[in-house]
Amino acid sequence: MAGAGGTGGAVQAAPAVRIEGLWKRFGEQIAVSGIDLELPAGRFVGLVGPNGAGKTTTLSMVTGLLRPDQGRVEVAGHDVWRDPAAVKSRIGVLPEGMRFFERLSGRELLGYMGRLRGLPGDEVDKRATQLLDVLDLAGSQHKLVVDYSTGMRKKIGLAAALLHNPEVLFLDEPFEGVDPVSAQIIRGVLERYTASGATVVFSSHVMELVESLCDWVAVMAGGRIRAAGPLADVRGAAPSLQNAFLELVGAHGRDAGEALDWLGGAR
Amino acid sequence: MTTATPAAPAAPVAADPAAAPSLTSTFVRLKLALLRNGLRGSTKRKAAFVSSAVFALLAAAVVVLVLALLRGHAHAGTAVVVLAAILGLSWAFMPLFFAAGDETLDPSRLVMLPLRPRPMVRALLVSSLVGIGPFFTLCLAVGSVVAVADDGAAVAAGVLAVPLLLLVCVALARAVATANVRLLNSRKGRDLALLSGLLIAVGAQLANFASQRLTQAGGLTALEPVEAVVRWLPPATAIGMVDSVSAGAYGRAAVQLALTLAALVLLLWGWERGLTNLMVTPDGSTLAAAGPEKERATGGGLWALLPGGRTGTVMQRTLRYVVRDPKTKSAWVTALAVGLIVPVFNALQGTGSVYLACFGAGMLGVQMYNQFGQDTSAFWMVAQTMSSSRDAFVELRGRAYALGLVTVPYTVLVTAVTAGLVGDWSALPEALGLALGLLGAMLCTGALASAYYPYSIPSEGAFKNVAPGQAGLAWAGIFGGMLSAAVLCLPLIALTITLHVTDLHALLWLLLPVGVLYGLLATWVGLRLGARKVATSLPEILQAVSKG
Repeated sequence: MAGAGGTGGAVQAAPAVRIEGLWKRFGEQIAVSGIDLELPAGRFVGLVGPNGAGKTTTLSMVTGLLRPDQGRVEVAGHDVWRDPAAVKSRIGVLPEGMRFFERLSGRELLGYMGRLRGLPGDEVDKRATQLLDVLDLAGSQHKLVVDYSTGMRKKIGLAAALLHNPEVLFLDEPFEGVDPVSAQIIRGVLERYTASGATVVFSSHVMELVESLCDWVAVMAGGRIRAAGPLADVRGAAPSLQNAFLELVGAHGRDAGEALDWLGGAR
Repeated sequence: MTTATPAAPAAPVAADPAAAPSLTSTFVRLKLALLRNGLRGSTKRKAAFVSSAVFALLAAAVVVLVLALLRGHAHAGTAVVVLAAILGLSWAFMPLFFAAGDETLDPSRLVMLPLRPRPMVRALLVSSLVGIGPFFTLCLAVGSVVAVADDGAAVAAGVLAVPLLLLVCVALARAVATANVRLLNSRKGRDLALLSGLLIAVGAQLANFASQRLTQAGGLTALEPVEAVVRWLPPATAIGMVDSVSAGAYGRAAVQLALTLAALVLLLWGWERGLTNLMVTPDGSTLAAAGPEKERATGGGLWALLPGGRTGTVMQRTLRYVVRDPKTKSAWVTALAVGLIVPVFNALQGTGSVYLACFGAGMLGVQMYNQFGQDTSAFWMVAQTMSSSRDAFVELRGRAYALGLVTVPYTVLVTAVTAGLVGDWSALPEALGLALGLLGAMLCTGALASAYYPYSIPSEGAFKNVAPGQAGLAWAGIFGGMLSAAVLCLPLIALTITLHVTDLHALLWLLLPVGVLYGLLATWVGLRLGARKVATSLPEILQAVSKG
């Protein structure tokens, strides 16, 4: 399953993320059941799966925000739980369903995050200005984040995650509820970032998006990895990633059928 | 409850719009149905409703009884007129603070229905009369009339006054709520509502002292100048009219009646206009939010005086939250106000003591508790940047500094003012030493409680400060912490008593440096131990504080 070793071209030897036997259980429910996965460095990696597949739980454990019941996670060669200092300075995170310090303005939030990360104040302010410009947030930089729209929140979150120039970026549903314009801006920033050799890992359930952005995908369902590898390998003979995905999670051939035959009939 | 009343029968259904059940009866039945459905299922809510209904009934009975006893009293007129004015005032402000109560009356839900404004206002007004509040008002109105109506004419006036008072009150509430619906649905409006808790806390303190004043200063006569003005202001004019008729001043009564009616008409007209406006214009809350925002100074000014690195960053964020986050702000202002009111007012009334100044230090020290719960799930941002117990120590220390930056000068000030008012300047050093020692102990236990007993604070609702299921944790943390803070202060208290008992008054000044050092030491130990725990349990704390 974790056959990422010999993927195509000459990639760096060390994987960006190595997960071994990762388990997490909430009460009766097993959210993640024994994942083994290696994500190659320098790639645009998509983690796809239906709602409740365990994507958020996995990303939270990989980024040190949730303690796993069992298993090991290494990011950029450092153990997430044994060497948090090395890992936290190398990763950027945009979690899903967590708040920011929303009573700060967009600019203040970036200033706060950058200084907590130990960057010098002048450097933080310089980077914040550039990020706000590129992400088209300069006009609302003095507005409180609590008044931001969903798209603006994702963008300011992305800016906060990029501020310290991390090696690996983890984004949980970065395009959820984002308008097409903001989505395009986010895409542009991420593409530029990966082109420099950094790794982006993001979760989504929009297959078209994953297909057009990623060169490497991992498919999750029911707390397990169903497939992982370069996009072409996972897609296989299927006409699109969407079809391959439905096949993998076993949801194929479930059509609306004749149940609603009155709908659109004679009124 | 007349829930099963069949809708106005007769005539074929839907054939003729005039024969359809009237809008008013539909709305009243809708209100009753919502009331009933609201109670279904949750026994807790049922209990809350029943107990508040019983309480309102009892209170109404007591009020009617008291008002009836006032009958014949020289100042009965004054009392009931002022009461009616207070009633009107509370009806006007209630909807601003407790907006979420009435679903039938939320006009935004009716936008898509083909309703004309006039019948809708009528229907909404009538359905607003159903409920505990209007019932309580009705009892008060009846009681007031009983208190002042002396003869037949006055009783007749009273029969007119009771429904008028009720209608004006309800129309006032609706008109104010409609006018402010945009505000209430916006973020600023919800922030405002969160401050209602603060208003009640400080208001209760002030009302307490005011009532003490009133009983001292010759009772109801003190109200007469107020009444002279208020009896010309609707809805108090309705009751004023009855009083005037009783006194034989028919001309005055006529003017008061006219004023009441004019107010009712004006309110209904304003309400109707507001409703119409609301239904044909887009929601402006987002437009307003997109308007120009005042520049927020970044980095410059006084902020530049804060230390650099994590310490200064954390302090700045904490202090900004005191000003900007409604929950934090309301907790701080309450602590600051009550911490000042208790020692100062007690001193003014001659029952004070310098030691009461410790109260403020204690109230503000409580803000150190559940530090990470105050962050809500935004704590992930802190957790992401924290990788050693050194980081955790600096984080907690920054928060303690921010708290101390306000609390230490405040404590000095309050203690000095109290000492001045009590006239016991010699006790200032020891009281100050005790207060600062207590503050240190609170910071110590607060840091430990933040690390060991974090819990979620829901962001909505002024009175919800603990997420469901974590109440035990919250109480254990705060009360256990406060108790331990008191225990931590025992050496200081023992030293004070010893010095007093052994007549070593000349050495009492020593308590100031000892208290300060003791407080600093306690804080340092608390922060150290707390930081060690925080650094090793970041995910657990994040989970505990993300439930809101």
